[in-house]
Amino acid sequence: MALIELNHVGLTFRVRTHGRITFKEYLIKGMFRRRASSIMEVRALEDINLRMGEGERVGIIGHNGAGKSTLLRVLAGVYQPTAGRRVVVGKIASLFEITLGFELDANGWENIAFRSYFQGETPRTLRDKVAQIAEFSELGDFLNMPLRYYSSGMMVRLAFSIATTIEPEILIVDEVLSAGDLAFQGKARARIEGLLDHARLVVMVSHDLNAISTLCDRAIWLDHGRIREAGPAAQIVAAYEQRAQAAQQQAA
Amino acid sequence: MVAYLARIWRLRYFWTSLVRNDLRNRYRRSVLGIGWSLLHPILMTAVLCAVFCPLFHSDYRQFAPFLLAGLAFWNFLVSTASQGCHCFFQGESYIRQQAAPLAIYPLRTVLGTAIHGLAALAVVLTFTWCIHGFGNVPALVSLIPTLGLMFLLGWAVAMCCGLTNVIFQDTQHLIEVLFQILFYLTPIMYPAKLLAERRTAWLLLYNPLAAFLDLVRVPILDGQLPPWSAYGTALAVVAVLLSVATFALTRLERRLIFHL
Repeated sequence: MALIELNHVGLTFRVRTHGRITFKEYLIKGMFRRRASSIMEVRALEDINLRMGEGERVGIIGHNGAGKSTLLRVLAGVYQPTAGRRVVVGKIASLFEITLGFELDANGWENIAFRSYFQGETPRTLRDKVAQIAEFSELGDFLNMPLRYYSSGMMVRLAFSIATTIEPEILIVDEVLSAGDLAFQGKARARIEGLLDHARLVVMVSHDLNAISTLCDRAIWLDHGRIREAGPAAQIVAAYEQRAQAAQQQAA
Repeated sequence: MVAYLARIWRLRYFWTSLVRNDLRNRYRRSVLGIGWSLLHPILMTAVLCAVFCPLFHSDYRQFAPFLLAGLAFWNFLVSTASQGCHCFFQGESYIRQQAAPLAIYPLRTVLGTAIHGLAALAVVLTFTWCIHGFGNVPALVSLIPTLGLMFLLGWAVAMCCGLTNVIFQDTQHLIEVLFQILFYLTPIMYPAKLLAERRTAWLLLYNPLAAFLDLVRVPILDGQLPPWSAYGTALAVVAVLLSVATFALTRLERRLIFHL
């Protein structure tokens, strides 16, 4: 069972304009009744309504800063929405930034264990999967090396292999797959398609519009934190491309 | 609360494997392994004995185990606090990856320092036994609930320090200064009796840490069960700190990531 539902979800970041403050500053400024650092509000997402169900592959597109990655993090539960309601049924595996969720001083085998345990695996359930993960990643002897020395492509191979081998009900992928080489991207694509044979839900962000229209059946176009259009992937991608071309012509 | 603890328990393989990884990283490059860090209290004891034994007119056979036991507890507390400051930054890469109970990150810290503290305690026990044996072995059983209390103390301390450090970046520095001062206000280097007869006795009366020192020292050095008052104070301290930590955590659990 896999289901994600967002009802009127909004997310407003409150960011300090000067980064983190010290306790001493806070005390002193507090004495003079002044804020230690001014706070800026950023509306990252506004009034998002979504429903994704089993067996769907949903692509999210939009320009830089449109809120795509933020939306993925809300879906994954990493960010709690500041407005609205989020309902998720099913075990989630997510791939965000490449180094996230890795212990850089530990080697590949150890990281397979850490990350799988983090997803709720136990030594017993993991035993059979370790070999599959290693095989799919094709990293071979590199798995004996600390992750510090991995290239980003190698890390993506490992992260993707782990995330998909432990059979999540919901897979959430940010723009990381493009770091893998062509051969691996092909393999990853086949695996994502394979995941859907077991009726799973995949949500992905990519700037590779071709990948979105071939891999996904639905697409969501985000613009300034709002859903601009949503519908069949091919149609939305076409509309998005048209808009991008028009903007380009206007600029020229 | 129960559901929260159950979620922590379900992730047990995750945090235990991280603790194992932390310990291995720390000791991998040194020949003596954990020995290096145990050498520190031993050396400190040796130096302090050489200086203070003549000064206090005390016998090193009494003073050395007394000091070692005090330092074992103190080092556990201080390292838990200062490493605890970093616990959420250390776990940042996981916090950003997936939602999990935040309490597992201070738990990772305290398990590391607790294993360390157990090794230091083993040194204390061995040393005391070599010098004058144990007065009363059954009294040592009282160390078991004490260790449980200290573990909870450490978890709460790491949680409080970690959360504060996320908001105020100078927390670790302030905490180190604070503990430096507390070190002299707590009967670690000097016996509590020395203060009790003077006008500064209130320092001890109101120092909750003295109770923890009694819980460690009385069974090992005097061969007696610690006084109930020490258990009472220690329990109260742990209860207060745990409530503060829980309160802060429930308030920040969902928002902490925006401060990282």
